[in-house]
Amino acid sequence: MKSLVTAGLFFLTVFFSLTLSAQPSSVAVHGTITSSGGEPLAGVSILVKGTRTGTTTGADGRFQLSVARNGTLVFSYAGYVPKEVRVGTTDLPAFQLRLEENRNDLDQVIVVGYGTRRKSEVTGSIASVSEKAIQDVPSANLSQAIQGQAAGIDIEKSKGNSHPGQSPNILIRGTRSVKAGNDPLFVVDGIPFQGSIDDINQDDVASVEVLKDASSTAIYGSRGANGVILVTTKRGRAGAKPRISYSGYAGFTKWLGEYPMMNGPQYLQLKKWATFIGNPGVYTGPDDPNLINGSLIALAPEEKQGIANGRSTDWQKLVYKTGVSTNHQLGVSGGTDNTQYALGAGYYDEKGVYPGQEFTRYSLKLSVDQRLNDFIKIGLSSLNSYTVTRGENVNPMGQALRASPLVSPNDSTGKLINNFLPGSANQVWNPLADFLPGNSVEKRNRLGTFSTVYVEVSPMKNLKYRFNGGAEIRNDVYGNFYGRYTTNNLGVQSTAENATTQTTSYTLENMLIYDKTIARRHKINFTGLYSFQKYSVQNNTFDYASVLSDQAQYFNPALGANFQATNSTSDPNKNNLMPWALISYMGRLNYTFNDKYLLTITMRSDGSSKLAPGNKYHVFPSAALAWNAIKEKFLMNQTTLTNLRVRASYGEVGNPAINPYQTLGSLTAQTYNYGSTNTTGLYPNAAPNPNLNWEYTATANAGVDFGFLQNRVTGSIDVYHSYTRDMIMPVTLPASSGIPSQILTNIGKSENKGIELHLAADIIQSHSNHGFSWSADVNFYLNRGEITQLLPSINTTLDGKPADLANKWFVGRPIGSFYDYVRAGVWQATAQDSANAKALGQTITGNKSVIGQARILDRNHNGVIDAGDEAVVGTPQPRWEGGTTQRFAYRGFDLTVVAFARVGGTIESALYGAGYASTMQGNYNNVNIAYWTPKNPTNRWSAANSAQTNPPYHSTFAYFDGSFLKIRSMTLGYTLPEPVVKGIGFKSIRLYATAKDPFILFSAYRDKYHGIDPELTGTTDNLNTPASWSMLFGLNVGF
Amino acid sequence: MKMQYRLHVLFSGFLLTLALSCSKQLNEHPNSVVTPDFFSTAQGFQSGLDAAYGGMRNLWGTENLFTITCIGTDEFITGNDGTGNNINYYSSGYTPSDGKLSPIWNSCYTFINDCNGLVDYGPKIANLDSVKRKEMIAEAKFLRANYYFVLVQFWGPVTLNKHFQSTPTTSAQRSPVSDVYDFIVQDLQDAIAGLPASPVGSGVLPGKATAAAARHLLAKVYLTRASSLAAHADDYQNAFTMASGLITSSASLGLGLLPDFGSVYQEGNESNKEVLWTVQHTASLAYNGSPTQNSSGNDNVLVHMWVPKYETFVPGMQRDILDGRPYIRAVPTRWLTDTVFKEKTNDMRYNKTFQTVWLCNNAAGIPKWPNPVPSGVDPSLAGKPKFALGDTACYMPGSDVSDVTIAATRYLLMPPRKYNIQMGPYMKKYIDTRRSDMNAPSIRPVIVWTLSETYLIAAEAAMHLNNLPAAVGYINTIRERAAYPSGNVAAMDITAAQITQDFILDERSRELCGQMTRWWDLVRTHQLLPRVIAHSSDGRANIVGKDTLRPIPTSQIQAVTSGPAYGPMSDPLWN
Repeated sequence: MKSLVTAGLFFLTVFFSLTLSAQPSSVAVHGTITSSGGEPLAGVSILVKGTRTGTTTGADGRFQLSVARNGTLVFSYAGYVPKEVRVGTTDLPAFQLRLEENRNDLDQVIVVGYGTRRKSEVTGSIASVSEKAIQDVPSANLSQAIQGQAAGIDIEKSKGNSHPGQSPNILIRGTRSVKAGNDPLFVVDGIPFQGSIDDINQDDVASVEVLKDASSTAIYGSRGANGVILVTTKRGRAGAKPRISYSGYAGFTKWLGEYPMMNGPQYLQLKKWATFIGNPGVYTGPDDPNLINGSLIALAPEEKQGIANGRSTDWQKLVYKTGVSTNHQLGVSGGTDNTQYALGAGYYDEKGVYPGQEFTRYSLKLSVDQRLNDFIKIGLSSLNSYTVTRGENVNPMGQALRASPLVSPNDSTGKLINNFLPGSANQVWNPLADFLPGNSVEKRNRLGTFSTVYVEVSPMKNLKYRFNGGAEIRNDVYGNFYGRYTTNNLGVQSTAENATTQTTSYTLENMLIYDKTIARRHKINFTGLYSFQKYSVQNNTFDYASVLSDQAQYFNPALGANFQATNSTSDPNKNNLMPWALISYMGRLNYTFNDKYLLTITMRSDGSSKLAPGNKYHVFPSAALAWNAIKEKFLMNQTTLTNLRVRASYGEVGNPAINPYQTLGSLTAQTYNYGSTNTTGLYPNAAPNPNLNWEYTATANAGVDFGFLQNRVTGSIDVYHSYTRDMIMPVTLPASSGIPSQILTNIGKSENKGIELHLAADIIQSHSNHGFSWSADVNFYLNRGEITQLLPSINTTLDGKPADLANKWFVGRPIGSFYDYVRAGVWQATAQDSANAKALGQTITGNKSVIGQARILDRNHNGVIDAGDEAVVGTPQPRWEGGTTQRFAYRGFDLTVVAFARVGGTIESALYGAGYASTMQGNYNNVNIAYWTPKNPTNRWSAANSAQTNPPYHSTFAYFDGSFLKIRSMTLGYTLPEPVVKGIGFKSIRLYATAKDPFILFSAYRDKYHGIDPELTGTTDNLNTPASWSMLFGLNVGF
Repeated sequence: MKMQYRLHVLFSGFLLTLALSCSKQLNEHPNSVVTPDFFSTAQGFQSGLDAAYGGMRNLWGTENLFTITCIGTDEFITGNDGTGNNINYYSSGYTPSDGKLSPIWNSCYTFINDCNGLVDYGPKIANLDSVKRKEMIAEAKFLRANYYFVLVQFWGPVTLNKHFQSTPTTSAQRSPVSDVYDFIVQDLQDAIAGLPASPVGSGVLPGKATAAAARHLLAKVYLTRASSLAAHADDYQNAFTMASGLITSSASLGLGLLPDFGSVYQEGNESNKEVLWTVQHTASLAYNGSPTQNSSGNDNVLVHMWVPKYETFVPGMQRDILDGRPYIRAVPTRWLTDTVFKEKTNDMRYNKTFQTVWLCNNAAGIPKWPNPVPSGVDPSLAGKPKFALGDTACYMPGSDVSDVTIAATRYLLMPPRKYNIQMGPYMKKYIDTRRSDMNAPSIRPVIVWTLSETYLIAAEAAMHLNNLPAAVGYINTIRERAAYPSGNVAAMDITAAQITQDFILDERSRELCGQMTRWWDLVRTHQLLPRVIAHSSDGRANIVGKDTLRPIPTSQIQAVTSGPAYGPMSDPLWN
């Protein structure tokens, strides 16, 4: 702290000395120019404004210059925002300036498929996320770091799960496929990447480009339909001195809230109501003394004791704990003109809010580029990671939310109960028992190595040959052991699973690049490619039980019994060997006339092993045009508009995400025994399907890029319309066909259209090194998807349009629409309602009476409640989404806020509908709602009833508006002044504090219904690890 | 020269990768998937047959079949923890999408197709011994008939697939009930001709199909068809001939009634000479059913279904393996325990079917006499434990006792008026003490048919043929056996005057209650509505005519997307 104060004082002194001292007619400036991250910048041009005098910085970013008093220096550097500084009247012996990266610079080179292009030459729709933006959000993995930072890219927690190591779902421009998958293709350093995004260390990433339209993705042919995410890792720079950097942070993680369950008295009251209503005519009311003393209420003796003692156990509080995160990254980079290198080593560890949940990643990254002679250059990049995930399936919520709050986790002697808890229908095992040491063990070790090499040969001036090779090997070793006395096994027998997966993939690519300018105005660039990829995944999974010694955990199957080797013919993670191969030919022609008119034509032909003979090959064409209008004469004589470009593209790409062997049909195993003779039989499960083909998506895209005021404000607008045909649909055959497995067919069509807007502005530019600056990035996008065609012979409809009711697909509706009965309140205890219910064939007497239960609309007016009354009650598709990054800087301080919002869209909450936390039976603890009683004739919730496991039409209570605004991160940083830093032997030091996911705002689900996290992909399958927020304290040091 | 060298480097690079990849790489050679062509080999044929037997576990032993055959009848009503079922209340919540129905429908068709494959490919498989081939095809037909019989009894006119389906179809049509029955009858006649004669005899493994089982099933099929819309004039005669023929030849087949009714259902004795066919389970847990052995999927969960809440309701009791895991899905109706089993002295079957005594197994839970003690109790006992470990903790005498007696009894004394949906007489035919744990599913084979049922089928057919002496003879054989060991045999005999459909149904309850046949029996005899209305507090207010068939599962109706819609429904009321 003392050094901070000293530093601050020193800083102030320097600042005032700049402005106040009066000295000779010219001032000497000695200084260093660095990037915002503290890297020295070599070759920065420095001009005295209004003159031709100037200099450039050396390799260490240093310069010296003499300037007239009160002169102004102009600093400019490609890719950075130019800056002007007035020098005043005194010498500046330790001048220091940070240049901000200009993400809007048109000369900036961005990565496209199989090559790079200047931004001004790009004809397709590509979103770029810079290194800086990625660093803004310290995260467990890359996809979390880019969440909310680019238009058209929807990144969400998979099923709302927040456990450490979870991988979010990524959707680019909506959902187009029901079965072939909607995951984009990842390409790392030019080679398709098969691993998990968790394995990529965000600190190793230099940029992320997202290819969205068909022109950009066509070059990936059969794999481009869901968009392509290009990840470029950091490499050394020519002529840069070795630089060592360290960054690290540590912090804590807390749950964002508890699921709103009942306390002891509330639960008792629920039981009384449930028993009273479930046993009509037996009691006079919920307060009938015979009820509480009777046997029907099913109160365990311990619960009775709990009532007497006023006990109210908050099980969630006992389960959750504060998590801890730690991150350390060390980097070394540098280079000479012929050799460049970059080395990074990282350690990341995150402990979650459940005991035993942990994610640890060790990563090592190396890249080397070497020029061998004047025409050959070679390089390699190697990304290696070892991750350990513990407790990925830990989920005590099934027990913690159902456990009776009237009982204690301990028995009368104070010992933890390791058994079914008293009460809760003897179904709920003590959730705390899982946390006893060694009782529940789950661990996944993943080792991944991904290496790419290239050889670049330039035999002639305009011709380049490039060989790219990539090899990826991943080993995933998973094991779990659950003791006999755990929530998993409920006292039956201990179980263990041991699974090993090996994934190998290699890619070989030959590229020819011809680049020529003819008559100065015609630029031609041709890229030709031949590529081959071979991929294989092999998995062995063994399950066994009754392990002789708990101590053996899952390590020695010989100590267990009852081996199981479960197999699913379509799941690469269940005792399968699933190889595939892809052979591709590609050509791309870029033609530019006068830098004004640009044309790109791409053709790719892919052949896949997954398809049946005769169907294996397909050609994917695309074309794009762009017009750099800003270069036209009529725009030359104005200064407001500094960029204007119009783009249009059309093309077709494919989605091959079918598992191997899908065209072959399969038999499935069934065990049986005849006395002591055990057998494993096989029965027909899936039928052969030789007609299966890829699905194709054609996209038309139009866009405008613009810039105003020296590109202080830049932006782009894209509109697109994509048409997916031959959509792969799993058709559930009638059970009577005898083929139980769904069959994949290319029958459907879907469309997506949308608008994307991106704006970046330097709202307040600082005119000195220390002034206040404010810049902002805003993106906004919306997508409207719908199914447009189903199986032509389909004979069922919804609201007059074809509808596949079994699979819940409806023409005119988005994929994933919720199809359910429509609840119109609750049947009330009135004569009118009783008569109406009876008229609809509803039971209105006895313990199955619908009075107090969901009132379902007879939509088809046929006088009964039946399947024909179901309707689309919501869609997971939001009305719009957006994100923003706001950056503020003043003196050494910087503040960055990243936020994103989803507006509209329906979520299905397991808490209120589909799950076990709101059975209203009174057997288990329940979510705390103001349920229906004769005295509380609400239309929102149903009544309690001990005679039913779940209220009828329970799921109709589960739909909520999924809108929210989430503050993704807030970071406050302080960069120490250089003299202070130098004084203690460093090049740069920055301290920061980040609050991650601190607030969720404008969420009705959270604010009104006490749900925890509205961010989930469409539906929750389970009540899982609750959302958390964290506070991190970090340090970046340059040596 | 230099240029040439450069081009040379370039060319080598191309060759390198072209050599590594050619279009052969695009052919699939599955190693981890078995494709349907395996079915046409001898080994594949055997595996298909094993799977067809295994499919039976999806029916007998599951909660699904138990629920829709045992509860919702005159015998049982829903127990405390089964109240989520609407199906047995016949209430408005019972819809075609009821989760108990589609698993049965789906399993039957999956394994019918399996059997179709066996029957179709069987004659063509090379390298298969001709005797073995004939026997295996006969087994497949026996199993196929069984699956179809389940379908036709629940759903009436159903889709009849006679041949292997290997191409996907999205259309389906229903066949008349008569066609389905004709197919079943033909299959069983073929099976009888090709199967080994008896489960008792050399080389027949437990659980295997035999001619004896097929004869029993065929008798039951004839009897069922006889009262259906597809009735043939000679159905009762054929049922009688088939059943009485099996009874007559039983001795020569090594089959026969056991002297003691109780030992038929005794744990570990499932291969006794009275048992015609079982669905197998095993202590080798990996082959016993669900992979997790958590009482799901195709586990045998009958051991749990009737277990009452003794652990919460009876002081001095805790859960143990003998008394079981209280699922309490069903409790007997008072009519069953009090009226059908009114005779509890000479007829030993009540006490061999129901557990009425629980012995204290939890010292910590033993209750103490209050102070002052109830009247009739020695005052010096005040504050002392009522009983000790191993003593009776609960007893259900089956007849009424006064509240004063109850208060003065040291254990929990439960007369019938105290029975409730949590605690009552416990159907103990499925007790399994050799399970790995008190919460584990059963490892016992499920007994599907016994020879005693053959007697009852013969008697029922004889009654319809007006051959009352024969009916009396078969019934009295069963009833006299029920007196073993201490009952008065003569007192058990009935006369021709007593033979009625109602009497035979009651006798079936006494002999077979809890054995997954009751709902079908009531439908066959057109007694479902009258008896549910008379005896079931669950269903009496709601049951209507359409309930004599189950509704076609919604999933089936919705999946028929080409051709005519799947209908009409089982009953026009089901829509």
